[in-house]
Amino acid sequence: MIDGTTDRLNKAAVFICHCSGNISEHVDIDAVKKTLKAEGISVFDYEYLCSSQGQSLIKNKIMEGNLDRVVIGSCTPSKHGTLFKKCIQETGLNRAGLEIANLREQCAWVHPERTGATEKALSLLRAKLKRLENIEPLDEIKVDIAQQALVIGGGIAGITTALNLADNGISTFLVEKDSSIGGQMAKIGKIFSPDKLAEECAMCSLSPLMNEVAAHPKITLLTWTEVESLSGSAGNFTIRLKKKPRYVKDSCTACGRCSRVCPTLVEDEFNCGYMDKKAISLRFSQSVPKIYCIDPDYCLQLNGEACGKCADACKTGAIDFSQKEEIVELNVGAVVVATGFEEYDASQKPQYGYGIFENVLTQMELARVLGINGPTKGELLRISDFSKASAVPTPAACTSGRESSSAPSSDSSSDSSSDSSSDPSSALSPGAETPKRIVMIQCVGSRDEKEGGNRYCSRYCCMAALKHASLVKKKYPEMEITICYIDIRAFGFYENYYRAVQETGVNFVRGRPAEVVEKPDKSLVVRVEDTLSQKMRELPADLVVLSAAMTPSPGTRKIASVLNLSQDESGFIKERHSKLKPVDSSLDGIFVCGTAQSPKDVTDTIAQAGLAAIRARAFITDSPKMLDNEIAVINQVLCTRCGECLKCPFEALSLNESGRVVLDPLICTGCGYCTELCKDGAIQIAGFTKPQLKAEIEGVLEEGDVLGFVNSGISSLTCDNIGNSVLTYPSNVKLIKVPTCLVVDRDLVLHAFKHGASSVLFVEDPPDSPRAEIIYPLTTRHVEKLKEELGDSGNRIYFKKTYVPNTKGLAGTFIRLAREGEVIR
Amino acid sequence: MKAIESIPDSKLLLFKSCMVGQEYPGIETATSYVFDRLGVDYCVNDEQSCCTGIGHYTDVFEGLTTAAIAARNFAVAKKCGYPNITCLCSTCYAVNKDACELLNNNTEVREKVNSIFREKGLDDLVYEKGDMNPRTNIYHAVEVLLSKVSRIPDEKKFDFSGVKTASHHACHYYKVKYLDVVGNPENPQLIDTVAEACGASPVRWYEDRSLTCGMGFSQIHLNKNTSLQVTKAKLDSLQREGVELMLHMCPNCQIQYDRYQPVIEKEFGVEYDMVHMNIAQFVALSMGADPYKVCGFQTHSVPLEGFLEKMGII
Repeated sequence: MIDGTTDRLNKAAVFICHCSGNISEHVDIDAVKKTLKAEGISVFDYEYLCSSQGQSLIKNKIMEGNLDRVVIGSCTPSKHGTLFKKCIQETGLNRAGLEIANLREQCAWVHPERTGATEKALSLLRAKLKRLENIEPLDEIKVDIAQQALVIGGGIAGITTALNLADNGISTFLVEKDSSIGGQMAKIGKIFSPDKLAEECAMCSLSPLMNEVAAHPKITLLTWTEVESLSGSAGNFTIRLKKKPRYVKDSCTACGRCSRVCPTLVEDEFNCGYMDKKAISLRFSQSVPKIYCIDPDYCLQLNGEACGKCADACKTGAIDFSQKEEIVELNVGAVVVATGFEEYDASQKPQYGYGIFENVLTQMELARVLGINGPTKGELLRISDFSKASAVPTPAACTSGRESSSAPSSDSSSDSSSDSSSDPSSALSPGAETPKRIVMIQCVGSRDEKEGGNRYCSRYCCMAALKHASLVKKKYPEMEITICYIDIRAFGFYENYYRAVQETGVNFVRGRPAEVVEKPDKSLVVRVEDTLSQKMRELPADLVVLSAAMTPSPGTRKIASVLNLSQDESGFIKERHSKLKPVDSSLDGIFVCGTAQSPKDVTDTIAQAGLAAIRARAFITDSPKMLDNEIAVINQVLCTRCGECLKCPFEALSLNESGRVVLDPLICTGCGYCTELCKDGAIQIAGFTKPQLKAEIEGVLEEGDVLGFVNSGISSLTCDNIGNSVLTYPSNVKLIKVPTCLVVDRDLVLHAFKHGASSVLFVEDPPDSPRAEIIYPLTTRHVEKLKEELGDSGNRIYFKKTYVPNTKGLAGTFIRLAREGEVIR
Repeated sequence: MKAIESIPDSKLLLFKSCMVGQEYPGIETATSYVFDRLGVDYCVNDEQSCCTGIGHYTDVFEGLTTAAIAARNFAVAKKCGYPNITCLCSTCYAVNKDACELLNNNTEVREKVNSIFREKGLDDLVYEKGDMNPRTNIYHAVEVLLSKVSRIPDEKKFDFSGVKTASHHACHYYKVKYLDVVGNPENPQLIDTVAEACGASPVRWYEDRSLTCGMGFSQIHLNKNTSLQVTKAKLDSLQREGVELMLHMCPNCQIQYDRYQPVIEKEFGVEYDMVHMNIAQFVALSMGADPYKVCGFQTHSVPLEGFLEKMGII
């Protein structure tokens, strides 16, 4: 021991938590205290250090003893690390003066044998004390967060999020790719609710919210706009948006004259592809903003033909064919992704005839047909009859599409602001009959393990089918409706609704239909085995409605790739933790809600959108933000400016004008790759410098121990979970937390072997997040290289990729390596 | 799902089928004819035996015997250096795949089979776990045709433009190992894609498309009426669709439709306009093969002369 060490240690103290027996029942705390005290170290213990009394004890002892270094032996630092950090900082101590030894998850809970656990507890505390001999104060890094938010997607999820953010005082941009906000909910006529048996009008709930968005002083609405790219990082994102030309100026009064004179009919995406829209139109009557928009693919004028009829008809001169695409750049602190779903392409199940037989449609299409602003104005017709009957306001123009022309009606129902959806006449050919029998098929593309299907349950379709059955029954009591289901999932309060629908006389057949057959008169037969009576049945139908799965919308898929967000196997944007972080995406500062995250109904979407707004607001208002200071630090004296470290995979390092290497603290993830590249030791990761790690190695190791370097992310969590899962492993397995294995260089490994390690194990996070996807291959290469370089000793280096559920596997590895160590010993 | 790029075109053992050999030998000769023209490296080995399929499904052979015979055939394939078993019959395909999985995963069965081999001094037949991979060593000949589909137009001598065909995808291919098939097992397009390359116009969907042929192995003998009704259902559907040619990939299905179509016509008092052949026979025909010497149409029950004359082939 060098001079003064004792002196230095006099200013250090150890605090041990009993954790109400969790630790004290397995570790002999008195023995630990005695041993350490004999070495001249102050030791205190308390029943619950995390309690306010416990914290007071720590604070008082720091003040009294004028301590500058503290080791706390307690549960895992991921549980109370922040609490203890705050506690010691309140006494004016730098955060670098605190070390936490994990005496619970990685000691008491995994080593049932008391002597072993006590010995290990001692070594863990010693290692932390030794580490503190080399403390270097950690600077606080503060970053200003841009005080505005971006919400992507103007459906019910995006609208709710934007309004909640704006109501909380955050300036919010709402971006929507279509010409109006409203999303899928605007297409549904009626919605079901958990608390009532009556169906509510969707537009009556939605339309006021849409208008509020348009009028809100804190919301900037950008419709007909798409996200091009994202750069920067949490708190300071730069978003590039492409604003498409509408060819109609804001002076549009939505009088509808332009649409009435427009000669070109186009497919109406809003109305499931029916040809009932003009090349200049509103998306639907209640569109927000209420500004017409020209479809550039079909407008004659924009395609080189002299037309300009709309410009002639417009009294405010709002038509402007010279508009160009604009690029808009925004600086925002947080982003909420609310890009929604699309219906599963049911033509992938040809046995159901979607896209082959005219009278097979999806629930979403039925919602349009039942909608009073739909293609039939709410009248339920066979699609085959409707296609023949659908009328066109200006017969001369119709050259293609599903409809044939018939005499235009006076259309008395349309008001002065008549738009595309109210344009087509309601005159129907005499042959059109109301269908008499409807069969609905559930789980089309959901709960389906076959190729092209999705394994998950889409959550909304049982209720959508019940709702449509109920609506139809109310309007046409004679209608025979049969729902073919696997299970009816009317969860929670919806059960009441299910019962009410049963009482209206809707038939339920438990079975997944095999095939839909079309008869010459275009009627259909559904073949199904009723699995309750075990009989084959042939159900005649005039309409077959498929409850198609909810799948991620193309917008959701695109945004996930533009923003580099983790997705699940089906393409939904994955939340960080389903319970603890249900709306946080894999990237800091980016949140997700609604059906972009997973299938859900309107009620659940709104609840989740509210949470996303709160999380985004909390993120933005926590400014200036204290960043994790465990990132790279450059020693400019040692730096030779060789430029090797510029190979940083995150591009966090660069040369400034004067040729010095500088770090962007917002981008650096603290992975430690640069510390390996730097031959001069000029870059270290704060809190994980080589001297600190060396000290910890020396402190923790005994002859024959297995030493694990554990990634502080998922791997660390998994090690803790071994304890939570009541699994055990030998107490000579010692673990040291590192940002990633990349900070552990050759010297450190040799140091470990020198101090008695029988083997060295690297535990790494799987490449499941955007960050880990970059880091993981670097770690495998790093470890391969170490093994090669160290020859025989290299054979004692092991690597394990670990997943959170794999606690058993990891414990097994620990046990195996410990046994091998025994043999060597 | 099986990736079409993963289908090999070399070292294929063209696995002879008892039903092909005795009922429609033209399927085998037509497949060879087509493989030769598409540059496929294959061999036919006379040491190979029947897979037992027909016997197995009619309860004549139990599982252990079937597994032992499969192990023997695997040894034959490996020994001759053509380990990629390529079946003409979907039952051979399913039986070989099943037996291979059994031999790999069931130690008891494998050891029992091997002990019989050793006892009889047939050590060269002993099967070691993993000797064959059910996914990458066993194929159906139509998969090979599909993997070469882009080359078919180059070899085409006759164009079957406008011929309305319907495919009957075999259940022992699409239903037994449905996770390991080319394409969507609920919407198989294997035969259609190959037929289209020959110029045909396949009917994409028809009523009862996913129905089996109705043979059910012993069912055609034990419950003949039910069996034939299933067959009739599909024939009726195809008649309504105006199909002229029904294409097969399994000799058992072909027997059921070709041999029994005249029976159904007689017993049920109906008439059908369609004729039957295997997809390999159809491809060979389009490449200019002799309808009798190569395709062996003389062994068919529903005469093909009308069709061939209409096409200008005879």
